[in-house]
Amino acid sequence: MLQTEQEFTRILRSRLEGTLPEEELNDIVSDYAEHFRIGKADGRSEEELFRSLGSPEDVAREIRATHLVKQAEDVKSCKNIFHAVLATLGLGLFNLVFVLIPFILLVVLLMVVFILGIMFAIFGPAAFIYSVLQILGIPAFAIWQSPVAGVFFSIGITTFGLLLVIGDYYLARFFYRIGIQYLKWNIAVIAGTEEES
Amino acid sequence: MNIQFKKGVLEICVLSVLAHKDCYGYELVGEISKRIDISEGTIYPLLHRLKDEGYVTTYLQESAGGPSRKYYRLTEAGRNEEHEQKEEWMRFAASVNALLEGKNDAAD
Repeated sequence: MLQTEQEFTRILRSRLEGTLPEEELNDIVSDYAEHFRIGKADGRSEEELFRSLGSPEDVAREIRATHLVKQAEDVKSCKNIFHAVLATLGLGLFNLVFVLIPFILLVVLLMVVFILGIMFAIFGPAAFIYSVLQILGIPAFAIWQSPVAGVFFSIGITTFGLLLVIGDYYLARFFYRIGIQYLKWNIAVIAGTEEES
Repeated sequence: MNIQFKKGVLEICVLSVLAHKDCYGYELVGEISKRIDISEGTIYPLLHRLKDEGYVTTYLQESAGGPSRKYYRLTEAGRNEEHEQKEEWMRFAASVNALLEGKNDAAD
């Protein structure tokens, strides 16, 4: 592969197009263009400058991950955090253990709590209706020893289910915030370093 | 030296160089890579991040006989950050050194 400024810029552009806004991409490319320009005026060859910059693929991966994490911070959504996590994974095998596994565990935990909450929130009203029907004397629906206790019990279960769902929502927001901070730290300190060592 | 260490301290190195003087990118890269062997390309994404976080600002300045260059300057927040990180690093380095020297004594 040719180690020229043109090649460096081409790879950077092709890897970042569609992710970064055009303006930001131009800004980044112009930084490297300035680097090559001053370096050459300093008497260094394009190849030498290319080599000391490191691989443009690595540079692009890091810029991409930083951008997507920032985007997930600015606009909170499942899609954005998913993209941010994926981009961080691309920074090195290391992150399979330190990003992917914690992420999957958290998603599973949040989903289990959510499903439990929904189940209680559906079961509660159903049990409530059965209890009322039982009080009205329709024996086919008799599920409680004492239908009056059943009424209170089902109200309790419904409330518990709704609280679980609401609690899960706040838990998700909490982990989202912590997760963003962690990804930022990960990119700044660890990611993209192991291949070079 | 293990590369993992290097990336972690790159930010404080960049902040510290900029605390002494404003630099253009190539100059800054030169200052750092003179002492630390690192992929120079990663300094630019770092500068972008520092700019996003409000620690540095940029301005264009004409150079002698060439097109203008993009200079990086620490903001007030950047200066505070530099102080904090520097102190933290000094304390950390002192502790590690003390520990390493203590260990050597024990081995003697």
